[in-house]
Amino acid sequence: MSELASHSTDYSVIESEPPEVMGRNLRVGAHLWSSATAFFFVAFLFTYFYLRSLNNHGLWHPKGVKPPVTLGTLIAIAVAVSAIASLAAARRLRAGDRGAFRSLGLVALALGIAAIVLQIVVFSTVGFGPTDGAYASVFLAWSGFYMVFVAGTMYWLEVLLATSFRYRSQVASEPGEASGDPDRMGDDIARPLSLQSPGADAFAFTWGVLAGIGVLTWIILYLI
Amino acid sequence: MKLRRLIGFNLLTAVILGVIGFYVGWWLGTLFKGPSIDYLGDTQQNDVSLFIGYFTGVLGFLVGLGFANYPVQRMLGKPASLRAKETEGKARYFGLCTDHKVVGIQYLIGIGAFIFIGGLNAMLIRYELITPNQHAWNGNNYLTLVGLHGTMMMGMMTSGILGPFANYLVPIMIGARRMAFPRIEALTFWLLMAAGAILMTAIAFGGFPTGWTGYAPLIDQANMGVDAYIAFFAIVGLSMCLLGLNMVATVITMRAPGMTWGRLPIFVWGQFSTAILMLLAPPVLISTLLMVMLDRTAQTGFFNDQIGGSSYLYENLFWFFGHPEVYILALPGMGILLEILPVFTRKPLWGYKLAVSGLMGIALLSWLVWQHHLFMSGINADLRPFYMLSTELISLPTGFIFICALGTLWAGRIRLTSPMLFCLAWLFNFLIGGLSGVFLSDVPSDVTTHGSFFSMAHFHYTIMGALLFSFFGGIYFWLPKMTGIKLNERLAKAHFWVMFIAFNSTFGPLLVIGFLGMPRRAVTYAGYLQGANTWVSVSAFFLGGSMLIFLFNFVWSLVFVREPAGDNPWNSKSIEWQLPSPVPVHNFDRIPTFGPDPYPYGHAGSDAIPPRPAVAPTRHTQ
Repeated sequence: MSELASHSTDYSVIESEPPEVMGRNLRVGAHLWSSATAFFFVAFLFTYFYLRSLNNHGLWHPKGVKPPVTLGTLIAIAVAVSAIASLAAARRLRAGDRGAFRSLGLVALALGIAAIVLQIVVFSTVGFGPTDGAYASVFLAWSGFYMVFVAGTMYWLEVLLATSFRYRSQVASEPGEASGDPDRMGDDIARPLSLQSPGADAFAFTWGVLAGIGVLTWIILYLI
Repeated sequence: MKLRRLIGFNLLTAVILGVIGFYVGWWLGTLFKGPSIDYLGDTQQNDVSLFIGYFTGVLGFLVGLGFANYPVQRMLGKPASLRAKETEGKARYFGLCTDHKVVGIQYLIGIGAFIFIGGLNAMLIRYELITPNQHAWNGNNYLTLVGLHGTMMMGMMTSGILGPFANYLVPIMIGARRMAFPRIEALTFWLLMAAGAILMTAIAFGGFPTGWTGYAPLIDQANMGVDAYIAFFAIVGLSMCLLGLNMVATVITMRAPGMTWGRLPIFVWGQFSTAILMLLAPPVLISTLLMVMLDRTAQTGFFNDQIGGSSYLYENLFWFFGHPEVYILALPGMGILLEILPVFTRKPLWGYKLAVSGLMGIALLSWLVWQHHLFMSGINADLRPFYMLSTELISLPTGFIFICALGTLWAGRIRLTSPMLFCLAWLFNFLIGGLSGVFLSDVPSDVTTHGSFFSMAHFHYTIMGALLFSFFGGIYFWLPKMTGIKLNERLAKAHFWVMFIAFNSTFGPLLVIGFLGMPRRAVTYAGYLQGANTWVSVSAFFLGGSMLIFLFNFVWSLVFVREPAGDNPWNSKSIEWQLPSPVPVHNFDRIPTFGPDPYPYGHAGSDAIPPRPAVAPTRHTQ
């Protein structure tokens, strides 16, 4: 039998992983996810410039296909301010101010949802359809899928806020640490608040990158 | 209790909810059906229904497995619910389990099943090609078989080594108890299974004529069967991306003390370099397939030249993913090769740093070569030299791998076990694959060989000859560790020799047939090629038959004979072999500390893991 491990079911001697590992996982995972997200939108960026440069049959951007610049600008402002608010919220949480985290987090969530609602307004009022040239196709698909990513990211923020509100009277705990359940291999946690700060940092980074992509989207689809 | 288990979150519930989900989605789709793009006339097809059906079907499947519990709980601000025991019993293999070793074995069986189906398709293709004239399948069915074979193999085998072997072994090799994100790890496997099932439904909707590359404008124009191809590859892309993310995060964050970057086993480097590609390349594929989906449903014009799009755009986007994909298939096998060679030569890996730079160099260069697939598609002539040179440059880091392998073999005490034989075959096959690849990277010769059986034989040499041989090498090497049961070595060697000879007897002549002008994806061919094609078909049947030897060995050894393998049957010095077979649930009682030398062969008494104090630690005990 190896000295490194045994088939003993007495898990009381099993050493837990270091407590900081789970927080580090979240941060690294957020960076990697943001990279993958960027590559997802690189395809749309390439498509935009490729089709624009080809201008097949002169149908890249036919006359009359005009995006609603005001609404687009409002969307870009909403995501940018929301990302700044979430960065501030994460910073406040790191400093131990959970109340400020919740307040700023709610602002970020409201603005994120507002961006989605505004995008729906854009889709329902825009004066062109998917068949109206290549630009129309790129515009509708790029901004539509961007909002799918925004919705997913807002779900993450909602999880952070819901946990913070549910355990608002509980004392904050050490970072990380698994549940200690010997029957699980998963990354469930014993103290729900222990991953709040690394979670908020990871979220703020992801949302910051996505908001950056949003601003780039606005520049390319509405301004150029 | 049994009834409760039966109706709980498991595979049975998942399949039932998946089917219900599909039909609910189909019905929803009929509520807002729009006319699909169909250049050949209105065929009353409803792509909207099918895509929504696939989406809700996969959703139902995942809900049935229990994947919705965690996000819903977290949405309510609650910590994750603790499910029943995950550490015991066979039931954990049929549901959501977050133990990386269970997921590894799930991958092995699941992917194995789909590869078997893909292989059967290949047999049917070769049956048709026994004679020059159409005799078994009509043109559409033949193209569907070709498409199903290629798509299934390319989709499934991208995770063919990372899924079973890396999921199982990487955490152990770096001294961790788990992957960084265990639920995501489980999700990647079940997404892949859902995708495989979806691809099979293509037959019910008329098949698809596009092959595995799905070129536009055909992919925009084809009938509903191609929707299965689109959904399959998009889901596979998502699975790949998440698998890559998890693997990269695990290697970055979960390494035990002493496991520095310079001490990572070369197998881990192989998986790490692959995982970087898996993280970044599939998102482009997913975007592309979503564009195709919109072309076919919302009537956007991304790939439709008539409304400002371009079919060349598809080729660019697809191969921006597709060429890194080729190295996603090749790199993990190199990791297996270089990990196994030191064990059976009793020598340290020769040129560790060179091997690492080779693996990472290939990963880096794979982003710069995709346009060589478009040499024949009218790309700007000025771009050709760059892509020709960048493609040829890849032979440099690939050469590093060969040098390291040959350096390790040199003057080693070679043991010709079954895993070693598969590794040696890898060297032979990949050399032919690489040399034939030079012809395809050179513009003048590519003009002659593009789209022929030559290019088909080339990529079978690189992908099947390398990936599948290293896959089987890995199975014979690590299955005793994964199961604690030894496979019959004599049958393993019989499998190897039949597979190796039949493989070369199949694809070697195909290189020549391609040079003689036989195009890919054509159901008929010139009469003078019949003799060679009959030879190839018979060889292919032997190749298929070799898989039956493996299957027989697998079942015979694991189910009937069950001879215990022991903890270290190969006398390896790497850490997974210092653990009991099969590996205990928590891998290690204590997180190990690693010494400086990952391959301490040839030094008496040396070990990768330094001696440890025999007391249980007091810090962080549960």
